[in-house]
Amino acid sequence: MSMLEMDPIFSTALRGALAAMVKNTPRARRRWRWRVGTGVFAGLTLVAGGAALATGVFSPPGAPLDSPLAKIVTATRTGTATIALGNPSATSTDLSLSLTCLTVGTFYFPNGSSLSCDTADMSQPPINRTASEVVPLAAGVDSVVVTNGADNSWTLQATYVNQIVTPWGVNANGQTYGATNQNGTPDLVAVVIDQGTIHGYVKASDLSCAEGGDVKSPAEALTWDKESRNRNISIPVFESDGTTVIGKFIMGDAEGSTAVTVPLSSLALGC
Amino acid sequence: MESTSRDDRASSLASRFNDCPARPRIRVTLSLVRTVLHVNTSQDEAAAWANVLRGDGDAFVAIFDQHRDRTYRHALRLTENIHDAEDVVAGAFLELWRRRQSVRLVEGSVLPWLLVTGTNLSRNMTRSLRRYRSLVALLPRSEGAQSAEDVVVRQIEELRLTIKIREALDGLSPSDVALITLTAYEGYSSAQVATALGISPGAARTRLHRARSRMGEALGVLGTESGISMKESSL
Repeated sequence: MSMLEMDPIFSTALRGALAAMVKNTPRARRRWRWRVGTGVFAGLTLVAGGAALATGVFSPPGAPLDSPLAKIVTATRTGTATIALGNPSATSTDLSLSLTCLTVGTFYFPNGSSLSCDTADMSQPPINRTASEVVPLAAGVDSVVVTNGADNSWTLQATYVNQIVTPWGVNANGQTYGATNQNGTPDLVAVVIDQGTIHGYVKASDLSCAEGGDVKSPAEALTWDKESRNRNISIPVFESDGTTVIGKFIMGDAEGSTAVTVPLSSLALGC
Repeated sequence: MESTSRDDRASSLASRFNDCPARPRIRVTLSLVRTVLHVNTSQDEAAAWANVLRGDGDAFVAIFDQHRDRTYRHALRLTENIHDAEDVVAGAFLELWRRRQSVRLVEGSVLPWLLVTGTNLSRNMTRSLRRYRSLVALLPRSEGAQSAEDVVVRQIEELRLTIKIREALDGLSPSDVALITLTAYEGYSSAQVATALGISPGAARTRLHRARSRMGEALGVLGTESGISMKESSL
């Protein structure tokens, strides 16, 4: 085996795994839409912190605290466009971005994150058509590019921020709780449910299992798809003690008359 | 092969229809059910990718066969050992499938997207590949696969340069690394890489110029040997 050729055993196994994964994926594959920050979809969201532009957002332990350092730049454009932000100050660590779709379409940030809006979203208030994100500020960056291949319209709010990551809390059982951040995922992950009226925590293990993140083989991926297809999955929401149940966190975007919501514990996912 | 069996099924289906006197004769166009198994041109690849989007596993494997080696060599430049490079290749193709609805083709090819994704994965091995860790860990590997140190003994000249370049690349952002490596080693223009990155050609030219300057400072004398120094022709 030459250094410049891939290990044939690994390559063959990977080839087979890829073929199995494609074969085992249902044609009408469910789509997990990426929504973050202030965009509360179906009344729930994971709390990822980064609340510089979203006043009043729940800020649990571990959430980054973003202090705006400059005037917020607001721009409305159609299609792909670059928005100049001016020179960052020396203490700027991140860029806080908040993107609202004004028409149907998919809009991309430079890091590949995207916001997709469909016809149904257009009847929602702007806050439900908004994705917010705080991204590290690379050296020399003084503008933001929003990419949209068609002539779809959007509004961007952006500013430089100084970000400090707060520590997670630890409950009486020794479980860490708070927001997922660059240090990883705590044992109990902060969520908001019921249109933001209830703040609580879900077990990271439940979250991973329901997301299909624990699959270890194409066969298990197939099982997960089969078990979760056309279903929303609910997982319990706890107080920070990790034992007092205060609600349900619903995952998935199954809609329509055939869509049902089932508890994670009722599914044979093996996790 | 899968395609043969599909064609056989299509032929069988056609003959059954055609042999039935009670029904009108129906022409079955076999090309409609034939999978693109070999990807040699961008036209082939665009056709194969269209089949991938319809859930065709054979087409996806054909694209893997076509781009595996270049993705692997790209990953080798950016990682510390062969296992990491293999993990990056696996992650890039698994991401290609997961994110297939939003992959940016460059002149009909997914390769620039694969290389950019491989760049991003190699910059943060632990976090980026966590999604696929369990699956990739189950894939068998040859016993006694070479570590980077073993390779140094046999291919010292080539790898010496690679290590130097990798160290110089460490100071750049993932997108700048993609701009540098895809233009210098993979023969893409900055405009093509701009498409894969989702930035404007003008921004790509500016960033490439700046990244090359920083690379040149980091590489010092070696920069002129590396083939990635200050050559503006690809702009």
